[in-house]
Amino acid sequence: MSVLSSSSEVRETYEDGLARLRKEFEASGSGTAVVHGRSQLVDQVIRRCYEHLVEQGAVPSNCVAIVALGGYGRRALFPHSDVDLLFLFKDSREEATHKDALSRVYLDLWDLKIRASATARTVAECGRFDPENMEFTVSTLDSRFLLGDTELFERVRTKTLPGLLRKSGGTLLTSVAESARSRHHKFANTIYHLEPNVKEGPGGVRDYNLACWLALVSYFRRAQSWPENGSLFEPRLQSELDSAVEFLFSLRSFLHYRNGRDDNLLSWEAQDAAAANGIGVRRQAMDTAQWMRSYFRHARLVAGVAIQLLEELPPRKASFKTTLGRWRARKSNGDLSIVAGAIVLPKGYPTSEYPSLLNVFVRMARQELRLGIDAQRAITQAIPQLDASKAAQSLWPYLRRILISRHAADALRAMRDCGLLDALIPEFKLIDALVIRDFFHRYTVDEHSFLTIETLHALRAATAEWKKRFAEILGELERPELLFLSLLLHDVGKAIEGEDHVTASLTSAREVLTRLGLPPEEGETVEFLIQNHLEMSAVMRRDVFEAKVVGALAERVGTPEMLKMLTLLTYGDISSVNPEAMTEWKAENLWHVYVATSNFLNRHVDEERVHGTLDRQSLTRFGTLPSLLMRDLEGFIDGLPQRYLRTYGSEQVLKHLELASRLWQQPVQVVLAPHRNLYELTVVTRDKPFLFAALAGALSAWGMEIVKANAFSNSKGTVIDCFYFKDRFRTLDLNPSEHERIKKDISEVVRGDRSLEHLIRARSGFKSMHRARVKIETKVTIDDESSAHSTLLEVIAQDRPGLLYRMAEVLAELKCNIEIALIDTEGEMALDVFYLTLNGGKLPQALQDSVREALQEKLNGTNQ
Amino acid sequence: MSMTKVEAIIQPSKLEPVKEALLEIGVEGMTILEVRGHGRQKGHTEIYRGREYTVDLLPKIKLELVLADEMVDRAVQTIVSVTRTGRIGDGKIFLSRIDDAIRIRNDERGVTAL
Repeated sequence: MSVLSSSSEVRETYEDGLARLRKEFEASGSGTAVVHGRSQLVDQVIRRCYEHLVEQGAVPSNCVAIVALGGYGRRALFPHSDVDLLFLFKDSREEATHKDALSRVYLDLWDLKIRASATARTVAECGRFDPENMEFTVSTLDSRFLLGDTELFERVRTKTLPGLLRKSGGTLLTSVAESARSRHHKFANTIYHLEPNVKEGPGGVRDYNLACWLALVSYFRRAQSWPENGSLFEPRLQSELDSAVEFLFSLRSFLHYRNGRDDNLLSWEAQDAAAANGIGVRRQAMDTAQWMRSYFRHARLVAGVAIQLLEELPPRKASFKTTLGRWRARKSNGDLSIVAGAIVLPKGYPTSEYPSLLNVFVRMARQELRLGIDAQRAITQAIPQLDASKAAQSLWPYLRRILISRHAADALRAMRDCGLLDALIPEFKLIDALVIRDFFHRYTVDEHSFLTIETLHALRAATAEWKKRFAEILGELERPELLFLSLLLHDVGKAIEGEDHVTASLTSAREVLTRLGLPPEEGETVEFLIQNHLEMSAVMRRDVFEAKVVGALAERVGTPEMLKMLTLLTYGDISSVNPEAMTEWKAENLWHVYVATSNFLNRHVDEERVHGTLDRQSLTRFGTLPSLLMRDLEGFIDGLPQRYLRTYGSEQVLKHLELASRLWQQPVQVVLAPHRNLYELTVVTRDKPFLFAALAGALSAWGMEIVKANAFSNSKGTVIDCFYFKDRFRTLDLNPSEHERIKKDISEVVRGDRSLEHLIRARSGFKSMHRARVKIETKVTIDDESSAHSTLLEVIAQDRPGLLYRMAEVLAELKCNIEIALIDTEGEMALDVFYLTLNGGKLPQALQDSVREALQEKLNGTNQ
Repeated sequence: MSMTKVEAIIQPSKLEPVKEALLEIGVEGMTILEVRGHGRQKGHTEIYRGREYTVDLLPKIKLELVLADEMVDRAVQTIVSVTRTGRIGDGKIFLSRIDDAIRIRNDERGVTAL
């Protein structure tokens, strides 16, 4: 039987008190007032109960200390929070004698609908750390004396707990940290959920408590005493935390009132209601998206402090590697220091200058680091004084380095947290912490975008077969930065109402691209990817085994490089919608679309040729040309495959035109230029037998390793051959004079002024040992179906010096004309596709057989 | 009244049209599974970079519906009419008897629980 069941007075006082608190909350919106007020009301109830028990003689007045624990101990009882109590006894005899009588206090609380749980312990028991029940020890850190024997409580506070911390403080910290990390992990380690949990989620109330415990225990372990004034953080941080906490307290109180129970999920409906009621923002009604931003701002601070304190914990066992890592990190960089995995800015670090500011984030992207709280504050404060327009021109080189580095997403998140990303890319501000409501997405738009980037970088470490395939094509991209930039910007239009988000994102992205000063071709690639970012998902919903579906996609993407980027973009986009969105089943489908389209692209190049006039899209690329030049251009590109126009930018096409127009003066036009880490050799000349073999042969005679090549010809028989090669012996790198000599040799060989055999003999010094690391079997496939005009020859072989020359020589000897050549190398594997004709038509069957046999023989015979 | 379980293995590309068509005849509840398998259709081979890339288990969608018997014929006809292309690999439909159904929320049983 409970003590107070007859006393309606206590019930009335408590219930009136609750009603008053709710009314006050509706007027003031102060969460702190609610949680303090309810704690006080519960204090009163317990006091009355206990007094009754003593008056009735059920228990002697000094047999126990009643102690408030956990949230109740902190005076932070939300409207529907549980109440945790400790009955503290001198010894187990006292406990056995009085425990049952006292449990009536606890029953009374239940009668008042207060969900209470009570624990009985002796003083000595409080000093034992039980790893299985570390929650108890943690809750005693927040203990508050309520009633009874003060001395018992003081003993625990000044002797028992300090003893426990001295003995098991390290273990306690480790288990607290482990449980916090696993809690964060449940929420995917991000605060940016569309429907956040304001208690358990990162940046929620529990993270604030965590920060306080960690700070308290660390303080105690250092000072061997409890802090004097109660404040655990330095004054500036404390005041920032205070306002974050007030926001969270108001919000959680609001949710409890609204839901009528301890439900802390900030659902979409609750977001609208909280924004309309100005919860946490002085009752000023607000637009929901705006209000959510203030929520995220506060949550970000709380999560940031909690994580920083977690990271600063000494590791349980410092391994040699981490010790070395720390030591190195500290030594290696003079201006930025790293403390416990966090970047710390030294005094006077030039945060007002963009290069040094951006370098912080380049560093973060390359190494797994956090931005320390102080560094974050310093940068946040520096940003309003910066002139963002100044940064625009120099931003891309830094942003590029950030995007392609392993920890790009973390660096970008830190830039967003400081407000730097918004300052540099104002278009991003619209999706900063933006909640878009649909049933698939789980994260805010900005977080989703960062996750796409993170997902792709994480592919490199993937072990599952179905992921490794995607990692492989990621490694092959020529300009991965363009893919990552597209991912960063692909959803920036989501905040713009009215338009579909793809168009809106494209419009915003165009402005960003112009400001970043990307070369037009690179900008076009990014625009294409954003514009088509839903295309492959759409194809996956169609019949992916249908050639028409694949053909249409192939036509849209145009080149293998673009296909790779779009495939990866789709992979990243789907994977980042929610943790379950990318299944092996979907990945398999996507991969199939990729493979089928990739094959289609290489097997149908000569189907679409340019005839006479340019289509509208190509026209706009050359839009500003004088009409005379335009006519020349149209004549030049007549009969070239569309792939030619997609492979080369407008500048390169015009350059080729210029070379072609000089053919009457000099029949072999040769241009040599560096191209990324390779050299690019362009040869424009009249088509003739042995041409391709002569070029490939001359390059290998010079010791050059051909990595890629394209050969195209127009209807007038002008050939545009481009070779991309590695200068294996650094001949060209170290001897500028050799540039002219190699060009001269090539011209002479093509014109027939010098024999290739002679050149090869003269330069035989370049023959070197080439050791293959992986063995690749030669595969020769002849396909007479795919193209209407030519016979396709696909050769997969172990890459080695002179390979292309050997193949081209075989083809030339058999009188095959190479209409188109697509030469590619992936690691040790050469992947070559030739479109062959004989007298303008497909190869007769007998010739096909001879080609196959001759190639097999030649390539296998020379396999080293 | 008794119930029948309809399991339909269909081409992924037919999922949306089937869902819409079923909705039109009043079938609202269904379970959709991403499955892989093959019947006599066997696999599909592509060569990618010289390696044979075989999809021996083709991606399919499995729909599961439990219906009151009187609905079954219409539902089956609907699924067939939307998914049939006449080519190998269109899929299959399996029917089986269901003894009882229980709505977890309120213990309703039988056809009303569907």
